[in-house]
Amino acid sequence: MSIMEYNGGSVIAMVGKDCVAIASDLRLGNQALTVATNFEKIFPVTDRIYIGLPGLATDVTTLRERFRYRVNMYTIKESRTIEPSTFAHLVSSTLYERRFGPYFIEPIIAGLERNPATGELSPYIAGADLIGCLNFAKDFVVAGTASDKLFGVAEGLWEPGLEPEDLFETISQTLLNAVDRDAYSGWGAIVHVITKDKVISRTLKGRMD
Amino acid sequence: MECSFALVGKDYVLVAADTTAARSIVKMKVDEDKIKTLSPHLLMAYSGEPGDTVQFAEYIERNIRLYHIRNFHPLRPQSAAAWVRRSLAQSLRSRSPYTVNLLLGGYDVASDAPHLYWIDYLGTQAAVPFASHGYGSYFALSLLDRYHNPDGTLEEGLATLRRVIDETAKRLVVAPGNYKVKVVDKNGVREVAL
Amino acid sequence: MAVAAAAQTGFDFSSASRNAYLAERGVKLPNATSTGTTIVGCLFQDGIVLGADTRATAGPIVADKNCEKIHYVTESIRCCGAGTAADTEFVTALISSNMELHALSTGRKPRVVTAMTMLKQHLFRYQGHVGAALVLGGVDSTGAHLFTIHPHGSTDKLPYVTMGSGSLAAMAVFESKWQPNLSRQAAIDLVAEAIAAGIFNDLGSGSNIDVCVIAPEKTDMLRNYIMPNERVQKEKTYGFRRGTTAWTAEKIRSLIINEEVTQVGNEAMDTS
Repeated sequence: MSIMEYNGGSVIAMVGKDCVAIASDLRLGNQALTVATNFEKIFPVTDRIYIGLPGLATDVTTLRERFRYRVNMYTIKESRTIEPSTFAHLVSSTLYERRFGPYFIEPIIAGLERNPATGELSPYIAGADLIGCLNFAKDFVVAGTASDKLFGVAEGLWEPGLEPEDLFETISQTLLNAVDRDAYSGWGAIVHVITKDKVISRTLKGRMD
Repeated sequence: MECSFALVGKDYVLVAADTTAARSIVKMKVDEDKIKTLSPHLLMAYSGEPGDTVQFAEYIERNIRLYHIRNFHPLRPQSAAAWVRRSLAQSLRSRSPYTVNLLLGGYDVASDAPHLYWIDYLGTQAAVPFASHGYGSYFALSLLDRYHNPDGTLEEGLATLRRVIDETAKRLVVAPGNYKVKVVDKNGVREVAL
Repeated sequence: MAVAAAAQTGFDFSSASRNAYLAERGVKLPNATSTGTTIVGCLFQDGIVLGADTRATAGPIVADKNCEKIHYVTESIRCCGAGTAADTEFVTALISSNMELHALSTGRKPRVVTAMTMLKQHLFRYQGHVGAALVLGGVDSTGAHLFTIHPHGSTDKLPYVTMGSGSLAAMAVFESKWQPNLSRQAAIDLVAEAIAAGIFNDLGSGSNIDVCVIAPEKTDMLRNYIMPNERVQKEKTYGFRRGTTAWTAEKIRSLIINEEVTQVGNEAMDTS
């Protein structure tokens, strides 16, 4: 038994044309026993940043609270909202601080980064391992118990320049089909598509087995 | 073996816990109340390592009471659950963690809504329509998935709970004999007969 | 008298006992991302050339196809990292920060041996638990220097070095072709060839070749110097028709702030 598989759950994020999407399943389990089918693992950080926290469920809640605290402190001290790339390093150092007693979470970050010079918003995604090694990908990042499957499906389905509605279809199909091959993930899913003027959150119909 | 069940209805939360206190293979007591009333509209069923359970439950009970006295109003169920969870998560990082699993049922008077939280000894928290701890959950969750009605009346909720307890009694080798059932709604907490 | 608590710095071990407790209950602890890697460095007539592949692995999975393994220490000192990815990242960032402070307080250009000593002392203190295997190279007032630093804190000073799981393949190239006083281009080509040997013969290494040339006057970071494994254009598109995915609920959060000004009364403002 691996501790990363104790509660189950998976998250994926993808880049599109001037938009990003982040999606997760909704299962909370105790090994093979499903305890809840409404357990969200993705949380808003700012208007334009979302973070997915797959892994041990107790640490999902603990880290969500810690990140909320640290982002609030940043916002107060700096008098501005945090940018995704800065937030990624905040996540990274929060995890590495516990290098020898880690939180069992592999976070996924998705957001739109504002260029300080031009004011333009560009897609930003990042993943990290449980001790905070960042992975800046230009296409997609995955984590959780279905990560192997997500890698495979996403590698096949993702393509550059997807519009928000097309990105929604691609990320939804990638997640749905990957978690159908994972015993510890599934039981419904939620997708957030972040564009420059709105965030669309949709609850997906998934297999309930 | 210990079993606890809970479910949310239209405007109430039902919480049931077995009443056996066991030590090794011996039943020491058959009328132990394992559901604490934390505040006028909050119930907590606890199970787990003997010793840890009562110690932790009393710690929670006293602190929730202290909050009530200091602030002249009790913690709302959401806040109480978050604090109880945090207490467990912090305990888990200490030298000797509490091995206690909880079902927290409450009625939020401010928003007129019932709430139920499933919390385990790791500090895992989930807001759920129905929940269970112990070996009984292997039977309970599938039955509740089929029969639970989130808009059901108290009679309907009790009937569903009876199904769950009967099935557990029938199929679980180490089923407990007696249960205490409590309900929390807008009128507060009371014990009900099955 | 109240005593102010000392500022908390360094690692936080508060979860270690919890994890030991979980491990005691039969829970297997997971592995972090590691860079099954090929990293190299060699001397040439003017300075140092460093090289690295760009694959990051998590067990048998390729976690990152184009990561950066040549880390900045100072303008004329760079460090390639192999081993536990987070450790190489943070240990080099820490020493980079301390080197900058050191340079500021001494008013001199920092030396490679200083970085090497700081790194080895940090690694030795953690007895190999900070799993960073490094190739450190740079140019300072005393000349060009190249070191390898092992996770336990031992170091070597050599004219050409390799590390990581692809070190054997890369070293084979160096052993057969390296010679003193190589020209700049010859050294870049040799390093690229050594990394290529790792990429194609070691499963832990892959993707692209990063090169960094450090000469007394300037440092050139040649990111993705060669990309021998570029993905070709997909022959067909795998886009889904809109409406393929069934969803049960939708919530839209608008980020546009609408402001409506309502005029109260219609008298002109008194501006007299």
